[in-house]
Amino acid sequence: MSPVALQPQRRIGWATWATFIIAALFAWSLIAIEFSPGRMIEVPGQVARVLSFFWPADMAYGWDAVLPAIVESIQIAWVGTIIAAILSLPLALFGARTLFPRIARFVKLISATARAFPEILLAIYFVPIVGLGAFAGALAIGISSVGMLTKLGAEVVESIDFGPVEAVEASGGSRILALRYAVVPQVLPEIVAHWLFRFELNIRASAVLGVVGAGGVGGVLLNTLRYRHFEKAAAVLILTIIVVLIIDMVSGEIRRRIIRS
Amino acid sequence: MSDKKGSIRFSDANIVYPNGAVGMKDLNLEIRPGEFVVVVGSSGAGKSTLLRAVNGLNRLTSGTVEVDGVPVPQKDGRELRELRAGVGMIFQDFRLVKRLSVMSNVLIGRLAHVPGWRAMLNLWPAHDRDVAHKALERVGIGEKTWVKASQLSGGQQQRVGIARALAQEPAIILADEPVASLDPVTTHQIMRDLVRINRDLGITTLVNLHFLDLARQYGQRIIGLRFGELVYDGSAETVTDEDFRNIYGRDFTEDDVLDEDAV
Amino acid sequence: MPPVKPARNWWLWGGAIGFLVAMTWWSAVGIGFSMTELACNITGGGRLLQESWPPDFGFLPRLVDPFMETIYIAIIGTVVGGILAIPIAVLAARNLTLGPLVWFADRNFMNVLRTLPDLFWAMLFATAVGFGPVAGALALSVFTIAVVSKLWSESLEAIDMGLPEAVRSVGGTWLQMVQFGAIPQGLQHYVSYVLYAFELNVRASMVLGLVGAGGIGMILETQRANFEYERVTVIILSVLVAVLVIEQISESIRKKLT
Repeated sequence: MSPVALQPQRRIGWATWATFIIAALFAWSLIAIEFSPGRMIEVPGQVARVLSFFWPADMAYGWDAVLPAIVESIQIAWVGTIIAAILSLPLALFGARTLFPRIARFVKLISATARAFPEILLAIYFVPIVGLGAFAGALAIGISSVGMLTKLGAEVVESIDFGPVEAVEASGGSRILALRYAVVPQVLPEIVAHWLFRFELNIRASAVLGVVGAGGVGGVLLNTLRYRHFEKAAAVLILTIIVVLIIDMVSGEIRRRIIRS
Repeated sequence: MSDKKGSIRFSDANIVYPNGAVGMKDLNLEIRPGEFVVVVGSSGAGKSTLLRAVNGLNRLTSGTVEVDGVPVPQKDGRELRELRAGVGMIFQDFRLVKRLSVMSNVLIGRLAHVPGWRAMLNLWPAHDRDVAHKALERVGIGEKTWVKASQLSGGQQQRVGIARALAQEPAIILADEPVASLDPVTTHQIMRDLVRINRDLGITTLVNLHFLDLARQYGQRIIGLRFGELVYDGSAETVTDEDFRNIYGRDFTEDDVLDEDAV
Repeated sequence: MPPVKPARNWWLWGGAIGFLVAMTWWSAVGIGFSMTELACNITGGGRLLQESWPPDFGFLPRLVDPFMETIYIAIIGTVVGGILAIPIAVLAARNLTLGPLVWFADRNFMNVLRTLPDLFWAMLFATAVGFGPVAGALALSVFTIAVVSKLWSESLEAIDMGLPEAVRSVGGTWLQMVQFGAIPQGLQHYVSYVLYAFELNVRASMVLGLVGAGGIGMILETQRANFEYERVTVIILSVLVAVLVIEQISESIRKKLT
């Protein structure tokens, strides 16, 4: 048979194997955590039963206790994002392979390490250092966002038109001035859009930090659920969903406008 | 020799690229202040290499290139930046920062003339703004000062490129295929601008051109390159079709002229 | 004289900068941001680091089982969520959906799913079905649906509609159009997004245990509560290594796909 005719056959084989392996791993995982078919049938009923306790939501509690906690989560996310933005801008420039081949490798290593930490693990370390509360959360969010923002920012810098950089250098400008006049103006809109997107993600991240005592709405949800105050938990969920949806919408719209300009 | 600035001298200059390609071979060339020189040759003949060696964007493998008797530094640093400050460059693809205003783009030509901290903070002295604006007026787009570069036509963008070079108040202008991305009408306008600037300000001008008829029409002195070697050096008035054939190593075709009637 | 620089849109710029400064100030005060506190507590940080060092590597063997549980949770969550995301993504793609009403409902459903962080789902499921890995697997399933359906519906909207329309024009049903016309075009993206979700899930499953949803996070929580920081360090280091390794593998597969 000609190699051309063989080709599709082989690809199907590959996909079949992959599916088979994934199915086997899946089945094995189910057995390992004792998620039996009997258990599966119970789950929808259990979820429905608990959900039924959620109504009516205790909105009075929502205004008094939940909203301030959500506000705190937003503040944590904001400060964390600002910290990350300030730190990541220079790192993104120096992390661009095309501009600084040698430094870039080092910067990328740092950013990969910072990215690997889930925020909440960083918070576990910051809480004993700066004390229980929102400040620890903001630091954790800030540090862990630096990694991602540096990576994305460096990619933006690597994708720009380098003509103007040479034009600046040909007119006697230094490397630093080339960054200021030829690189930053080109990349800033995309980078700011990444900051905003990261802010959206950080709201979600900061919402869970309360679990380890680092402020925000997560601790409230944990406590209401722990003490079975489901109407109060419902208020937490409703308000969180609404606030996050609004922030997503506003931030998404600003991002689109920035990119278009 | 006069004390006018803007002389260039290549002595036994060679450039071999890392991949082994020869960009410049045993070049000996002297350009006097205020000359308008057109460099011709087929693509890959080393036209860009020649221009970019003058401001150190390409480094020599051996030999020297001097600007006003001073060797062009062959490594990055303050000395090279100082030399570049006096040599304007115009590019085929304009190389503007499209998101910035025309004014900001032209001010890039003043970067080497103001203290670094002022440039960093965008605090330009009135004198430098004035120089930038005069440069724009000289190429006839003073009214576009505050327009975003991306909103200009190709010809206007190249004028901003020229203004940026003029803002350096240079003794030399290097124009690397300045009209290759433009339509014929705009091409002639830009070429006339370059000739006028050369005549009015006495700036030594080196222009790379692919089109033979343009070279003959606008050049004073024509330099022909082939495989990095100087194969022709003479006045535009006396250059013959035979000379062009020799430079290109083949009969020229419609692709080599802008205006097809000229063949 | 140069033409006067046109005045910027002061309302826009002033407003934006004012908002930025005010928001930052308000937030910083609100969370008690203080450099002095940071500086003063650096000694506390030093003590913490001393306590965390050297890591108690003798603790490592006891991590193996929870570690495996973490991976199981991530696998189940990715597979279940990845499968359920398919119809949700298809119905949320403007060019493939069944009707404006379905599209609108599905899209909003998707956006609401996306608003809640992974640990919130974990808390909810832990409350509903009890502490343990099952809650974690369910939470990650929902989280995976949210991630994959959003990304994939966007790339489905960008496919070439020639093939799906051809399937329709020869009398194919809607299902056949999606199955033979649309999904094959989006398959590469789908696989790549599912792998991406798997990376996120591995990372998430490491911390699910903090709220009782199984995996290595449960051990982390008990050691943290007992201030056994030498052990916390071991756990965090091993989490870091695991996350980096799985990310590398997944990323290299994704690179091969595209």
